[in-house]
Amino acid sequence: MSDNDPVDPIEGLWHARKVTRRRLMGYGVATAGALGATMVVPAPWRAAFGQAKPYKIGSLQPLSGVAAAGGKTSLVGVQMAVDRINKAGGINGRPVELIVADDESKPDVGRRKVEKLLVEDKIDVHAGGFLSNVCLACMPSYEETKVVNMITVCLDTTITTSKCSRYTFRPFDYAPAQAVAIAPYLVNKLGKKWHIAYLDYSWGQSTRDAYTEQIRKNGGDVVGTTGIPLGTADMTAFLSKITGEFDGIFGILFGAPAVTFLSQAYDLGLSKKYKMAGDGAMVEATHMPALGQKAEGFVGINRYLPVLDPPLNTPYHKRFFEDAVARLKQIDPSGPLPDRYTQSNYEAVNALRIGMENSKFRGREDTMKLIEALEGLEMKEGDDFPQGDKLLRKEDHQAFLRQFIFDVQDGKHRILEVVEKEKTIVPPACTFS
Amino acid sequence: MSKRSNKSFWIAFGIVLAALIIAPLVLPEFWRRFLTEILIWGLLAMSSDLLIGYTGMVSFGHSAFFGLGMYGAAAALLTVKPANLWLAILYGLCGSAVVAGFVAFFATRLRDIYFAITTLIFSQIFYVVIFTWTEVTGGENGLNFTRPQLGIPGIYTVTFTPEILHWFVLAVVTASYLILRRITHSPFGMVLQSIRENESRTRAIGYPVERYKIVAVMLSGLFAGLAGVLYAVQNRFAAPDFVYFVVSGEAVIYNVMGGIGTLVGPILGAGFFLGLREISSRIFGDQFPYLIPVGVIFIAMVIFLPQGLLGFAKRWLNR
Repeated sequence: MSDNDPVDPIEGLWHARKVTRRRLMGYGVATAGALGATMVVPAPWRAAFGQAKPYKIGSLQPLSGVAAAGGKTSLVGVQMAVDRINKAGGINGRPVELIVADDESKPDVGRRKVEKLLVEDKIDVHAGGFLSNVCLACMPSYEETKVVNMITVCLDTTITTSKCSRYTFRPFDYAPAQAVAIAPYLVNKLGKKWHIAYLDYSWGQSTRDAYTEQIRKNGGDVVGTTGIPLGTADMTAFLSKITGEFDGIFGILFGAPAVTFLSQAYDLGLSKKYKMAGDGAMVEATHMPALGQKAEGFVGINRYLPVLDPPLNTPYHKRFFEDAVARLKQIDPSGPLPDRYTQSNYEAVNALRIGMENSKFRGREDTMKLIEALEGLEMKEGDDFPQGDKLLRKEDHQAFLRQFIFDVQDGKHRILEVVEKEKTIVPPACTFS
Repeated sequence: MSKRSNKSFWIAFGIVLAALIIAPLVLPEFWRRFLTEILIWGLLAMSSDLLIGYTGMVSFGHSAFFGLGMYGAAAALLTVKPANLWLAILYGLCGSAVVAGFVAFFATRLRDIYFAITTLIFSQIFYVVIFTWTEVTGGENGLNFTRPQLGIPGIYTVTFTPEILHWFVLAVVTASYLILRRITHSPFGMVLQSIRENESRTRAIGYPVERYKIVAVMLSGLFAGLAGVLYAVQNRFAAPDFVYFVVSGEAVIYNVMGGIGTLVGPILGAGFFLGLREISSRIFGDQFPYLIPVGVIFIAMVIFLPQGLLGFAKRWLNR
């Protein structure tokens, strides 16, 4: 190469020896030192518990990807419960170490991360799972390693019916129970004839079927349904076809699609013509700023509402609410209110604690004892379960809890009716293999 | 390839293969499973290299071939009792072959970006069908099934342990590599490379370019489907997420990282990318957006190592 030859900038950088071996070694040592330093800093629970071996609780959450927003509020619930348990002396005198894994909202990553939690971190129990497809993909891994899996958000009905597992528990509600709870109110107080609009995929479809069955059982009728594909940015084409002689539109949507649906239904005049009702996920507290006046009058059902009105005006709910608000503000300066994800994650860890204490759980060798302690567990309203009483049914590991029928007034949730857990029961449809 | 470099290649091939055979005996459980998964993703990336690196066609439809292979295997494992591994492979290959044939027939009429967009659209069509056809495909939740045994049911079978599964996957990936290597070194492969270099001239000298491209897409789709079958057997579930075009994008990333047009490079790229993601998550912790450093490293590699890891290694060794 002559001096006049043009020098490739990349080659030039490399041969200029700016990145020398010595420097590279230096960076490596510095990085290793920094990592090592973080490793010798004791975990917060060390001071209080000395050398007691901690229980390892794994928590798989979507901290990146499409479900990241919900995953972060879920993690707040888990952290609240773990901190509270450690402050109160741990479980069976042992501290709790929380190991968090991000599934990136993808089933393949979730599966890989769960395997790491199970075979490398050697977690004793698991509490987490947000997206149903990730939960279902990971369930065989818990069975294989014989570890209790306490699901905290996944809603798909099949988790505790056709695909149920002896190792998996769902300590919160599911669509069939909510349908049983709200159907009498819909038919008797709002109208007989309904049109259901739903997100056209497995959750939306199974929930649609559950509501259709219950509305008809209560003397009403579903005169039409409209499936909206997930990811539809403009729903006008679907909403403009919703016409005819019926009393109300029942929506089965969540997240951004729910906001779009309610906004466009309002703009097209559907909210004036028909009564609007639906799943509580359509008007979570985080949606309210985006919806403004467009959700006024909406009637929904939810297991948790971020309000301090009766019967949620208890001191334990107030403590939970205030702690959650403070922590959520740390991750989101706009100060969102706790949602049902924060609540179910918090309560799931507390249910695990009670099961572990009742079964004198030592580790994985006592998994069967823990399962037996959780089967049929009655959870009493209190600091552990601020949402209310619950029963974790033995036959399918599905919990039943009270539901809140509410409407939206002045941009806030207002409780209209409380349906006690006994009135939400549906027969079990699970056979453990 | 000269006789000497040919000998060096086979020696290196033997050493790497021996290391991969021994690996499950020495690696901890998690890394053993992880290595098996890397081989599967490597097979997907290698299949797309046949199009990207040898024919000059960037495909975003490989997720459809991979996913259909996966759902084909699921169909066999759920409907035929007792579960039969060979039937799962056959169903998976049939599924991916049909889709690949369909996509190839329409997409190969187009070139460059138009081909890439068409394959992307096809993969999205299959994704939407699988995502919404819940009764058959399980919709968003996908399908769960049990892992079949290795062998011939009724005659001799052995249960898949993580080690046996690794060796089985390694055998399939090695055989696939040798077949693809033979194909790319054959006169057929030379025509594909000629299409990559100058499609008009290849046509002008009398080769039916469209037919060659159709066969290339089908072959590539078949190996992608095989990767899908292996993934289904390893993880015992099939989900629509694998049909989504992002999986095709990841296959392209593995190619770019490892070295396009090398067959081995994409496997190396898959290993590097997945390993980097795993290590990044361990260093920074899962509560940190650990994919950002991975993205930064990927951008740096595209700028500073445009020929990929294998290209860089070759240049380094030749200095």
